[in-house]
Amino acid sequence: MRLSPGQHRQLRRQARLKRELTAWLFLGPMFVFFVVFLVVPVVGTVWWSTQAGGIVGGTTNVGLQNFQRLPDLVGATTAIQNTLIFALLSIPPILIGALAISLVLARIGRGAAAYRFFVYFPVLVPGVVAGLIWLFLTNVDFGLFDNVLRAFGVQPVTWLGSDTALGVLAALDVWRNVGYWAIFFVAAIIGLPEELYQAANLDGASTAKRFWYLTLPLMRRILFFAIVVSTIWGLQVFDTALVLTNGGPGTATTTIIFRVWQYVFGTNDKVGFAAAISLVLIAAILTLTLTQMRLLRSRRGDD
Amino acid sequence: MTTTASTTDSATGTQYAIEILGVTKRYGKITALGGVDLDIEPGEFVVLLGPSGCGKSTLLKIIAGLEDLTEGEVYIGGKLANYLKPSARDVAMVFQNYALYPHMTVRANIGFPLKMAGRPKGEIEQQVAFASGLLQIGSELDKYPDELSGGQRQRVALGRAIVRQPLAFLMDEPLSNLDALLRVQMRSELLRLHKRVGRTTVYVTHDQIEAMTMADRVVVMRNGLIQQIGPPDEVYRRPANRFVASFVGSPPMNILDGRIETADGRRRFAGPIPVEIPGLAGATLDDGPAAIGIRSEELVLTGVGTAGSFPAVIELVEPVGADIFLTATVEGGAIITIRVDAETNVAEGENVQVSIAPGAIRVFDGAGDRVRLTSDAA
Amino acid sequence: MSAAVEPRHGAPAALAAIAAEHARSRRGRRLRGLGKHAILIVVTLLLVAPFYYVVLASFKNSTEIFTYPPKLLPIPPFLGNYQKLLGSTGFLRWMFNTLLVAGTVTLVKVFMDSMAGYALAKLQLTGKRLIFLSMLILLMVPLGALIVPLWALVNAMGLTNTYLALILPPLANPLGVFLMRQFILGLPKDLENAARLDGVSEFGIYRRIILPLIKPGLVVLAVIIFTDQFMSFIWPLIATSSDDLQVLTVGVAALRSHGGADYGLWSAAAVMSLVPIGVFFFVLQRQFLARSLAGALKQ
Repeated sequence: MRLSPGQHRQLRRQARLKRELTAWLFLGPMFVFFVVFLVVPVVGTVWWSTQAGGIVGGTTNVGLQNFQRLPDLVGATTAIQNTLIFALLSIPPILIGALAISLVLARIGRGAAAYRFFVYFPVLVPGVVAGLIWLFLTNVDFGLFDNVLRAFGVQPVTWLGSDTALGVLAALDVWRNVGYWAIFFVAAIIGLPEELYQAANLDGASTAKRFWYLTLPLMRRILFFAIVVSTIWGLQVFDTALVLTNGGPGTATTTIIFRVWQYVFGTNDKVGFAAAISLVLIAAILTLTLTQMRLLRSRRGDD
Repeated sequence: MTTTASTTDSATGTQYAIEILGVTKRYGKITALGGVDLDIEPGEFVVLLGPSGCGKSTLLKIIAGLEDLTEGEVYIGGKLANYLKPSARDVAMVFQNYALYPHMTVRANIGFPLKMAGRPKGEIEQQVAFASGLLQIGSELDKYPDELSGGQRQRVALGRAIVRQPLAFLMDEPLSNLDALLRVQMRSELLRLHKRVGRTTVYVTHDQIEAMTMADRVVVMRNGLIQQIGPPDEVYRRPANRFVASFVGSPPMNILDGRIETADGRRRFAGPIPVEIPGLAGATLDDGPAAIGIRSEELVLTGVGTAGSFPAVIELVEPVGADIFLTATVEGGAIITIRVDAETNVAEGENVQVSIAPGAIRVFDGAGDRVRLTSDAA
Repeated sequence: MSAAVEPRHGAPAALAAIAAEHARSRRGRRLRGLGKHAILIVVTLLLVAPFYYVVLASFKNSTEIFTYPPKLLPIPPFLGNYQKLLGSTGFLRWMFNTLLVAGTVTLVKVFMDSMAGYALAKLQLTGKRLIFLSMLILLMVPLGALIVPLWALVNAMGLTNTYLALILPPLANPLGVFLMRQFILGLPKDLENAARLDGVSEFGIYRRIILPLIKPGLVVLAVIIFTDQFMSFIWPLIATSSDDLQVLTVGVAALRSHGGADYGLWSAAAVMSLVPIGVFFFVLQRQFLARSLAGALKQ
């Protein structure tokens, strides 16, 4: 070697530095926004959750008091409860319905594009607009639902009453999201290995058996992914609740983010509670994300 | 070797086109290259030959600057290249899967390096016309890569390298994606091209026939180490060790294990067949395990009673056109391959008598290295 | 698929049996096909009926809306609701704001995400794995869960009631980086290597090689970002209080909560809100449907 190890080390460091700098020039812009508007706020939520006071003006540190008081706060626990019930009511019909639609839609020849268009269209409706539209379905005087009931001679129902409002909100979510997962599943089903189905056909397996023993096991990962992601989305329900029922009647449709919003901008001194519930939500979402990452990884070996 | 050198200009001048000094490459604990030295003369066609995973492609990428080395130095045209970016190394590369830009026409592909170098339009056009004429793809210039056949893509890749007029071409298994017939055709075409353009070429392959037919010098590699450097016939005739003997040549060299023994002051090889090795007496070699190697064409079928011959039973007869490969078992159970010409009349199960051409026996010591015999030509 | 199998002389009985079997299975297949279409038509009607009902309402005056049985065709159409929406609310301004914000975010983000995706996919970077992992973990955390610190942050930056307050926070979402990384990882390594040897700079490789080759991915990403932005609500709701900065979703929500019930106006607002995204969807259908697959890609 004609250069000393020291010279080489220095030159290598320079070359490496240059390359790293180039990489950072590419990653940098996105990374800055990621840190400032995502990492910092997540960490910031932890700090805010130990504060008492309003979002403007000073706050005082109260340690973990917000969390200690959280279980006794009727508003907070109701919001958490409502959100969980909402998720439980909406997610099974969304996914089961989507799977059913996709099974039919994946194996259709003529008209597939048109069906997909219509099935997917509600997905593109902003929550606010969806809320408005459902006002026209659930109105007692002229709503579509009650008009249909009337046509069959059935007594009209108060759809947005305190017992039913959360269910209607869940139904709205089914309407809005079933298409998303249906199209998602269609892609998954089309991607399944055709030979397996040909083999099963030769073995004389019935349609039901093929679904139970082939399609379902093959789509296990996809289904698991869908359950996790739709749960995470379900926990964030807000805009439809605001427009359709304004969180009511009473607190019947007051969800977690709805309550956070009220704590921050409704009453001016409960920002600590808002951050504390937010943190509960963030923790739930992170747990779901990590579970999914682990499960997906363990089945694929190392990434 | 002089020890003083600036980073830009070696004191040795430009005697070699490419100089590789003690290059090692480690990925974590795995050593891909374990200290490689290699000098390549200007205009030379050097083939790096070895099985997959031997480090030949890694070495090529290190020369090109597409991989970092862990230790060592690479000089290209006398300049230390370790820290130069690939484009500053004055080498052009042809990739195994051609790496043509799919969104550009053939014309744009070939002209791309010149365009990047900021050459004037007229010059680019002229160079593209020259290269495409040379490679007979002048009529394909406005097509896209996915409209071309494998052989045509290969030519475009070559064209893109040629227009740069680099100091050296680096080729990474450029023919391995072609079908057998095309490969033979492109092989001779590449060789013709090399003779016309006359540039230093480093060519990586695992195909020993490519190596034998194309190389000025073959570099046989294994496990990140160079096993032997030499002209094809030397590598074929005088393999440095058992690995080279068995990797180069088809069928591979017959290797028979045995022992070196000294009895009555006479040193002999005791193995599955009786052999006389004239130069063994003066060779530097201890008693112990050893092996002999004989090329299949250096085994001859003879009549019973020929001196030094031994009996064998034909197990398999494989005609391969001009030759027939015979697989035979000798008494101890060892298996040998014999190459005879196509006219030979033999049948499976036949008992034959085999003798060894004079001077055909190579001796490998216990470590597998070939032992220099006193009878060897210089 | 030929026409019916004709029994010939020879072995007519067997052939006839086969032909009958064929006909039966063909009939079965056709029936099942019809069944599938019937199911899909019912599903489609269920999903589309709400839209029709709202469109219908938007062309009725306030008394017609309440009439039972409802008129099922809006003839003659009443245009008063649309006149009111466009004339005496800020609807056009909201629409402009939404298109401006969503367009800007989409443009900036497609650019930044593809650059970051290139770095994560192909460039040497210490701590790349850690960065990737942290983005993956925070991928699902929604802006809605961060409104307290985010509002405080944007307020501290003095950005409240500016377009920047609407544009900057959504840029943090890492989904696009994953998508782009995935797309770019699919490109053969030798392509960039060839470009490197051909004398292209790293930025040149990104612009001349990577970008043209991932164009389909860029369109999908643009569709994802634009629709998400078009639909986003809670952040614009709290980030702006000035009427001039309201985006569509916020404006429409305000129509609902301020003043009395005006069903005619609301239905017109709902219909008009869906026009741009509907047109967009119709033009870029394939990319929109691929949006659904983004989930699979980000695994």
